[in-house]
Amino acid sequence: MLTIALPTGRVFADAAGIIEAAGLPCRGLSSPGRKLVIEDGDFRYILAKPSDVPLYVSYGTADLAFAGGDVLLESAMPLVELFDTGKGRCRVVVAGPRSLAPRFLGHASELMWLKVATKYPRIADGHFSARGAQVDIIHLHGSIELAPKLGLSDCILDIVQTGGTLKANSLEVLEHVCDISLRLVASRKSTALRWDEVQSVAKKIEVAAEETRT
Amino acid sequence: MNRLPRGCINVGGGLASAMEDCRRIFLSLFEAWGYRPFLPSALQLLESSWERLPPSFRSRLVAVNTPYGEPCCLRGDITLAAVAYLASHYSPEERPLRICYCDRIYMKPRPPKTSIESFQIGAEFLGWEETGGEAEILALLLSVLDSLGLGRTTIVLGDSTFLQRAVASVDTSTAENLAEALRKGALPEYYSLLEDGDIPDFYRRILEEIPRLRGGLSVLGEAEKLWGKGAPLSPLKSMVSTLRGLGYESRVSIDLSLVRDLGYYSGPVFDIYSGESGRSLGGGGRYDRLLSTCGLGGRAVGFALDLEHTASLSRFHATGAPVMAWAGGLETEEALIRAKKITSEGTKIEMSWTVNKAASLDAAEKRGCRAWVDLASGSSHTLSPGKGDRSC
Repeated sequence: MLTIALPTGRVFADAAGIIEAAGLPCRGLSSPGRKLVIEDGDFRYILAKPSDVPLYVSYGTADLAFAGGDVLLESAMPLVELFDTGKGRCRVVVAGPRSLAPRFLGHASELMWLKVATKYPRIADGHFSARGAQVDIIHLHGSIELAPKLGLSDCILDIVQTGGTLKANSLEVLEHVCDISLRLVASRKSTALRWDEVQSVAKKIEVAAEETRT
Repeated sequence: MNRLPRGCINVGGGLASAMEDCRRIFLSLFEAWGYRPFLPSALQLLESSWERLPPSFRSRLVAVNTPYGEPCCLRGDITLAAVAYLASHYSPEERPLRICYCDRIYMKPRPPKTSIESFQIGAEFLGWEETGGEAEILALLLSVLDSLGLGRTTIVLGDSTFLQRAVASVDTSTAENLAEALRKGALPEYYSLLEDGDIPDFYRRILEEIPRLRGGLSVLGEAEKLWGKGAPLSPLKSMVSTLRGLGYESRVSIDLSLVRDLGYYSGPVFDIYSGESGRSLGGGGRYDRLLSTCGLGGRAVGFALDLEHTASLSRFHATGAPVMAWAGGLETEEALIRAKKITSEGTKIEMSWTVNKAASLDAAEKRGCRAWVDLASGSSHTLSPGKGDRSC
């Protein structure tokens, strides 16, 4: 039995679609209702909150998983990233009011003690540390775009797909941090001890991801 | 409430008991094979650790100053302390040195871990010549795991030389980045580095295959075929052959992409997985180069296991809780004589001196004892033992 964790939410449909296209047994996966564990043949699917997916894989509860690049970077769990499915593409950016833009174009010292609201404190810390700027990171769990508007922060670090939400909140992209997408990851134990099974399933998923991309 | 500093741990209850049982068995087995117990200082000079540890490890050290103003770190790795000990206390004629240890190490945690403290049990075989060292230490390790009830553990063997030789013709920075990508398990990053790097075709083909060279012992044949004559696999093949001869074939797996966290390994390396948990119990490998950087000759091999994780999966975790022995109406000396008989059979007991039988039974349940026995009549009750107790 191979266990695959799938993130619920935005990218669930992409992940479930790839599994179906890969021809893996997945009855019930397209409409799981309230079910969190679905079994079909030699496969078990765990439907988990996106931020919990790396944990399931890291502890070996799941052999394979689909996880967003943002979640992987933020969790920093010891996993094996097998490939990029190319689905769910978006960007991690620093965004804020237009008036802040000159500070991002100047010397790193201009950014010192900027207040940055984010759901991704680890990514934010890594990004600004690499620029040599110490910033004040405010960890929020949602509605990040509100923070600059209400004076809670100067800017935000968040994922952006179309930029619509930023625009609606009078925010602009100030800096690109990284590109992210849906990745297939595996547990270190499974890649060490069940490589043949993991590789065979991963290969099918990779081919399906490639086909559904074109 | 008395809170501990963030990242620190107290371990008590059944888990502490299981850890102590594991520690005892581990040290006694290794001592029987000439491994001398070693108790290193909790503080290590930064100047002697810094250069010998990779940057990813350095950033996790917990730095402190001694009252004498010497910059130090809390011991993040016992192997370095062992090598320094060998260099400063043993003349070449007294080598090799075999040591075993059980101690705490301190490091900034990596997710999913949250504590800066952890317990390690391990062994090091330093300054040996010729062959046999790795096989000796691995055979002892498997034997001790069996004794701890961890018969379903698998040793995943790799060889850092395989990757090092494959990147020998690549510029240093790309070579380091390739190794780092494998250590992180970031295969897309690894393949992207390969694509961009200026690498001779022969080695490119090998490097492209390295992440796929995992699985059963047949992988060694595939790797040999890929490399052709002169494949750097002799030490690994020799270890596998010995382990096979000792009947451990089913518990060995190969992973030629295995790169361990500590950068000082320079030969065969290994990780250990139990059947019950997805996380590695620990690992180790050969580190001759570390020895030579300390001015020492010969070979070196060692490993360390996470004691808490190992104990939590061991046979002792379920059976470590004591039996409550109720003295009832017996004279004190008679109760102690009868209780001693139970302990001589290997059962842990906890005496209950109350005259109230119901209170004794109640206490046994509350204290997480696995059984309660009336020393006067010999009657007993089985109870559900409580779990281990770990507080932060």
